[in-house]
Amino acid sequence: MTEPPLTLAEEIDALAAEYVAGVLDPDERAAVEARMKADAAFRAAVEGWEKRLALLNDDYAAAPVSDAIFARVEARLFPKPDRRRRWMGLFSGAVAAVAMAAAVLMLMPAPMQDVAMLASADHSTVYMVQHKGEMLMVTRMEGTAAPAGQVHELWIIPPGGAPQSLGLLAEAHFEVAYPMPAPGWTLAVSMEPEGGSPADGPTGPVLMSHTIDA
Amino acid sequence: MEDPVADLLSRCAAQDRAAFRLLYRETSAKLMGVTLRMLGQRAEAEDALQEVYTRVWLRAGRFDPAKGRGMTWLIAIARNLAIDRLRARAADRGDPADGEVLDRAPDPAPRAETRMIAKGEAGRMADCFATLEADRAAAVRGAYLDGRSYAELAARHGVPLNTMRTWLRRSLLRLKECLDR
Repeated sequence: MTEPPLTLAEEIDALAAEYVAGVLDPDERAAVEARMKADAAFRAAVEGWEKRLALLNDDYAAAPVSDAIFARVEARLFPKPDRRRRWMGLFSGAVAAVAMAAAVLMLMPAPMQDVAMLASADHSTVYMVQHKGEMLMVTRMEGTAAPAGQVHELWIIPPGGAPQSLGLLAEAHFEVAYPMPAPGWTLAVSMEPEGGSPADGPTGPVLMSHTIDA
Repeated sequence: MEDPVADLLSRCAAQDRAAFRLLYRETSAKLMGVTLRMLGQRAEAEDALQEVYTRVWLRAGRFDPAKGRGMTWLIAIARNLAIDRLRARAADRGDPADGEVLDRAPDPAPRAETRMIAKGEAGRMADCFATLEADRAAAVRGAYLDGRSYAELAARHGVPLNTMRTWLRRSLLRLKECLDR
């Protein structure tokens, strides 16, 4: 039994169907994709097939998946800006967060929570770390800023992870938009050259650190 | 009809990273199911999934909820990427048919189209699939769900490539006729 040949309209529709079904070779796929851009009717035909054959999608069983994949996606899409831009980003982020926190405060004041007390070995320098709303706040309670040409840099270290800079403690009070540190995370202050550590992690001596209690 | 995935996609288009994380949490197991079934190997499927979500973020602004559901759009991106990789893999090997057929897992039992009690759209699909000869229905499924090329399908079903092409094109057009009725 021979069936009549396809009409031209059927041929075009069949091509759209073959594309969605996935059977075309790379050259043919590229040609279809080019045609979709140029030909709205053809694009609509492809979309019609996507909708129709999507009725088979129930047959894809879910499979276990790792969060590490998402971390790689984020690292690729949202690379950490270089150092100078990062500080500006932190600054504008902090301004935005303060504005947002202020808006929230008008409705529902966020409670101030004590996070940690960071002290140098001889207790000559002490920083109090608190959290309120979306802001991490650091206040120097004892001691003075780092000597000229140097600066205290604040770090947060996830359990088993690498230190991340939160900012430079040049003034007696410092705030940064950051979530409440979870138990097991460590806050630390290192001595760095003016402008902050030139590397990804601390380069100078760690003056003080504190791991958040469980 | 409510479409939480579509809502998350429109938030992604507005650069909402929290929505992107939520989208991954809600949809990644399904998309991993797609890349794993089509590519066969876990490491390759994971690598493809990473690429899928990168594209999803970059293209979220192009998603149009008037044209379909969010999950359908996501699965189309995952399938297209997996098909591109499968075809590139075959081209690298220089032979699209050999080996591949034996390596890949046998067809899992069909689900949607074996539920013969018509129930919504999936039931309609089942009814329409039932109008096709069994081997042609299997070829359509093997193409769409497993990403098999004409060469693979022809080898698997023991028919010449041109015959397979005719089968598949006619079967797809018959499915359309039935579904659009």
